[in-house]
Amino acid sequence: MQEILRCLVVNSFCFVLAMGYAAQLGAQTKNTSQRLVVTGSSTIAPLVNEIARRFESTHPEMRIDVQTGGSSRGITEVRQGIAAIGMVSRALKSDERNLHAFTIAQDGIGVIVHASNPVTGFSRQQIADIYTGKITRWKVLGGADERITVIHKAEGRSTLELFVDYIQRRNSEIKPHVIIGDNAQGIKAVTGNPHAIGYVSIGAAEFEIRRGLPLRLLPLDGIAASVEAVRQGIFPLSRPLNLVTLGEPQGLALEFIEFARSPQVHDLVEAQYFIPVNAD
Amino acid sequence: MHDAARKRSLRKLRENAAQCVIYSAVMLVSAVFIWLLIDLLRGGLSHLSWEFITELPRDAGRAGGIASILVSTLLILLVAVLTAVPVAWMTAILLAEFVATGSWFGKAVRFSLYVLAGVPSIVFGLFGNAFFCVYLGLGFSILSGGLTLACMLLPILASTAEAGLRAVPHIYRLTASALGLSRAAALLHLILPAAAPVMAAGLLLGIGRALAETAVLLFTSGYAERMPDSLLDSGRALALHIFDLSMNVPGGDEPAYASALVLVSLLLCINILAMKFAYGLQRSKLMP
Repeated sequence: MQEILRCLVVNSFCFVLAMGYAAQLGAQTKNTSQRLVVTGSSTIAPLVNEIARRFESTHPEMRIDVQTGGSSRGITEVRQGIAAIGMVSRALKSDERNLHAFTIAQDGIGVIVHASNPVTGFSRQQIADIYTGKITRWKVLGGADERITVIHKAEGRSTLELFVDYIQRRNSEIKPHVIIGDNAQGIKAVTGNPHAIGYVSIGAAEFEIRRGLPLRLLPLDGIAASVEAVRQGIFPLSRPLNLVTLGEPQGLALEFIEFARSPQVHDLVEAQYFIPVNAD
Repeated sequence: MHDAARKRSLRKLRENAAQCVIYSAVMLVSAVFIWLLIDLLRGGLSHLSWEFITELPRDAGRAGGIASILVSTLLILLVAVLTAVPVAWMTAILLAEFVATGSWFGKAVRFSLYVLAGVPSIVFGLFGNAFFCVYLGLGFSILSGGLTLACMLLPILASTAEAGLRAVPHIYRLTASALGLSRAAALLHLILPAAAPVMAAGLLLGIGRALAETAVLLFTSGYAERMPDSLLDSGRALALHIFDLSMNVPGGDEPAYASALVLVSLLLCINILAMKFAYGLQRSKLMP
């Protein structure tokens, strides 16, 4: 028994030492480098990750920690002060006016169907009817006599809020069959089901179509869904990708936001299939 | 005579049928594994290379490798296992060797372990975020991720180790006691080595669960894909990287497959190593 006890005491002592050493190491690096936590929309996260990497390469003493979890989380954590900058993939709402938003890119949202679907487009009213369950078969819209699979996003996603806003309905009225999270998941859901309809980021959809996935973007209000239409500002369903802060950004946060809006990162924005904005 | 022969052939037939059913069940199990492996190999092998393992990710993971993510994953795993194993195995030793099976204390500890084992992993994630990241101020870091995983591993490790210790024949303890060995010596030199394979199997189960965990780590160890400098840096785990590549990054499928392949090979390596170690320990201690 004594032997075991001695063993345990030595063991736990070593463990405490190791932990202390780790914390010490961490504290040292924390002192020598400035840290900025950015969190929010999963749509923007990969882009900001790339921007952060380039920013760190020119500012070696700085560290940008990019986290994700959705626009709502970005807003909550900025308000709580856990994160310095939030990522929000929509315009701010009226009760969020106390935050400061800085647009770093534009994104369009397009309605997608499977490439084998003969339907060429529909009106805003028809989309609303499909999503509220008034139209349940493709035949009504000139397609095959098959049931429509309605793909919808999960609560809290800003794509959802924008889309629901566009069809002028409330989220509780919508009767989805499949609930998805991120863009690539939506694209997989539609390519895997010839009778599905969904809505995703236009840039991502165009990229997958170029790669040969059986997918088609439908025009909205008679305007073809394309990155070009979003750039010109004529496409009805588009959104700004914002960095938000509580109060005027200062110091490192300001420097990073300015960098993220500068032409130095336009190639990164385009590489993630978004549309760069001009800061001025 | 004729009747007996028919009975015998009937019995043989029944035996064969039973054997057939068992074999097909086994085939089914291995078929699932082989199908999974072939699917991973087909999707990921062309993307897999030495550079993929040694380079940092670029372009949101579409290009480059997974070096920093592998390092983060192993660090998270190390923290989790180093924290959970001593606590869990000591609990198991207490429950199996020092406390009577029916005592209220043993029952209470066991009950809390069962409850802990049944908690969904996302709850652990939220708890870890609130407790380690915010309350203790560790932030999004490998340390908070590892400690949260350790909480998840505790019930698995403790209950498997307890079962392993209980499976050691009671005669061992009586013999040790008759030979004048102290309880501690018997435990250290006889019972623990005898239970080692089962405890190692439990450890493997735990490691497998820890490597597969996604939601928990999104909330605790975070999303940053750079090479971690210390345990207080945020680091992305491999499972989370696979999830992000396949669900959030358009055109990320191939690296996702390749990363999954790396994850599966990592698990296989850890499996083989741990099993070898456990059997080696048993042999060296029990069969000198």
